[in-house]
Amino acid sequence: MADWDFIRSQPPRLRAALELYVETGDLRLAQRISGLVLEDFVELLKKAGLRTGL
Amino acid sequence: MPSPGPSARKSRRLAELLRLDREAREIRREMADWDFIRAQPPRVRAALEYLVEDDDLYVAARIAGLAIEEMNELRIRARIPKVI
Amino acid sequence: MMGVADTCFLIDWARFSQRDLLFELFELVLVPEQVLAEVRSESTLLWLSRQLGRRRLQLLTPLPRQLEEAYRIVRASYAIHGLRRLDLPEAICLVVGREHGYVVLTENRGALMIREVLPELSDVVVWRALEVLRELLLRQHVSARSEEEVRALFRRYEEETLHIFPRDELEAVVEEVLRSARGRGTRGAEG
Repeated sequence: MADWDFIRSQPPRLRAALELYVETGDLRLAQRISGLVLEDFVELLKKAGLRTGL
Repeated sequence: MPSPGPSARKSRRLAELLRLDREAREIRREMADWDFIRAQPPRVRAALEYLVEDDDLYVAARIAGLAIEEMNELRIRARIPKVI
Repeated sequence: MMGVADTCFLIDWARFSQRDLLFELFELVLVPEQVLAEVRSESTLLWLSRQLGRRRLQLLTPLPRQLEEAYRIVRASYAIHGLRRLDLPEAICLVVGREHGYVVLTENRGALMIREVLPELSDVVVWRALEVLRELLLRQHVSARSEEEVRALFRRYEEETLHIFPRDELEAVVEEVLRSARGRGTRGAEG
């Protein structure tokens, strides 16, 4: 279940990436927007209450 | 009277663009908020003064050490128009 | 219609209150990957990411041969006296535009100049915001029922982006749009 308080509290780039992931499920695209390496982005997803299927 | 050929049209277009370049520089010099520009820290001031003379945002951003969008926001705050 | 946009075009266009009109003209616009690194504001980041998610924008990663060709064009811009120099991102857009017949969206005067000088780029269509707004009006993606409404669209863009259109070019575009509207009006009366 997405933690929208957490998502909205993130800096712009991470917020944009998380919202994109929620909307599309496109992990690679969202990761590129975030500017994080994949492992760090997956950690962020978990903190945001989002699953990746990985 | 025959219409000008392709290379004559290209030369004319290039001359127009060069003229626009010069006119744009004059417009930027007139419209810029020089008080704002002079009040900025050295690197940002240098980037804004560059932007008045030559409107390459990419280069200005590198001078300032900023992202292009940040530089563009500063350009707008300094009232430096983009003329194109 | 497909387009390829450089960062400077997108960063200005993203400030425009009617920025989504871009996708009335273009089913897809390629954007250099570097644009993500050059954008900071929440509004622009959210807009870019949403359009990427909706597949209206697509990130462009140039192939090695495209990069090589782009470097050649950049070097040419430095070598030709009096020409405004081109940066690599704009050159990549020109290469991609030429290869695929995409409209290149840029606000870089060097890109406009280089196509007047290099024969291999002479067929590349290069649009600034001026031409994009013109096409939106000509193709009736924006409704403008009077000269004042036509001018209001350009004025809104200028005010929101602090981007001034060259006066004589703007007048020519306004005249073209009005002439086209008059032509449609005449055909409607005859039909």
